[in-house]
Amino acid sequence: MLVVRRRAGEGIVVAGEIAIEVIEISRTRVKLGISAPREVPVLRKETVTLREENRQAAALVSEQGRAGIEQVLRALRLAMNNG
Amino acid sequence: MTREVIASPLLGEIETGSECEMSFPFGIPGFEEMRRVVPVEIPAQRPLIYLLDAAHPETCFLALPVFVIDPHFKLTMTEDESAAIGLPAPPEAPCEPKIGEDVLCLALLVPSERTVRANLGCPLVVNLRNLRGIQCAPPDGYSNCLKLSPEGVWEPAC
Repeated sequence: MLVVRRRAGEGIVVAGEIAIEVIEISRTRVKLGISAPREVPVLRKETVTLREENRQAAALVSEQGRAGIEQVLRALRLAMNNG
Repeated sequence: MTREVIASPLLGEIETGSECEMSFPFGIPGFEEMRRVVPVEIPAQRPLIYLLDAAHPETCFLALPVFVIDPHFKLTMTEDESAAIGLPAPPEAPCEPKIGEDVLCLALLVPSERTVRANLGCPLVVNLRNLRGIQCAPPDGYSNCLKLSPEGVWEPAC
């Protein structure tokens, strides 16, 4: 891993077209500004797993359709009665 | 007011307009182009909510209000997330908007074995004043998952 030290207002450039600037440094956090081409996804690390989970969520409707939804509704009605 | 009819393969024709759409300026992770979201409730299926992508109605999510899953759920948002949907940021207000008063808070349902699970750590939060929404993604977002058993019990899943 490349480690560089930067101050607020300074930045780095990746592959000639992705610019990352340190906008602000506070006691516990760093605010970064990232400029990248539209086709380059810029993601916080925690959203990478979330993308896959959301794709699965969409598949509930697109792949399982009404049968899958009916199954969810049955369990949900039981949950409402239990609650 | 402009009206539009969108054709959902699942729900048929849905009439929509800006007043009944939610706007997700950044989409949701994995569906970054899903900016206009139409919530659809079918009375016989309450509290289930369908979330349709207005531009691509074949994309549809199932969601539940978080309190249906966990009546004690507590919402925490980061400053960036609050700012993205126009909520007051600290120090003016804490990043804990009131669900039902300030924001709508929904959990997406993900298929899991024979039923579904919900990740309460990453809810969809919609500012009720401007209908702008975002999916929260805290670094520890996977510490609050619940799975619905076929018997109708929400059980810890992560």
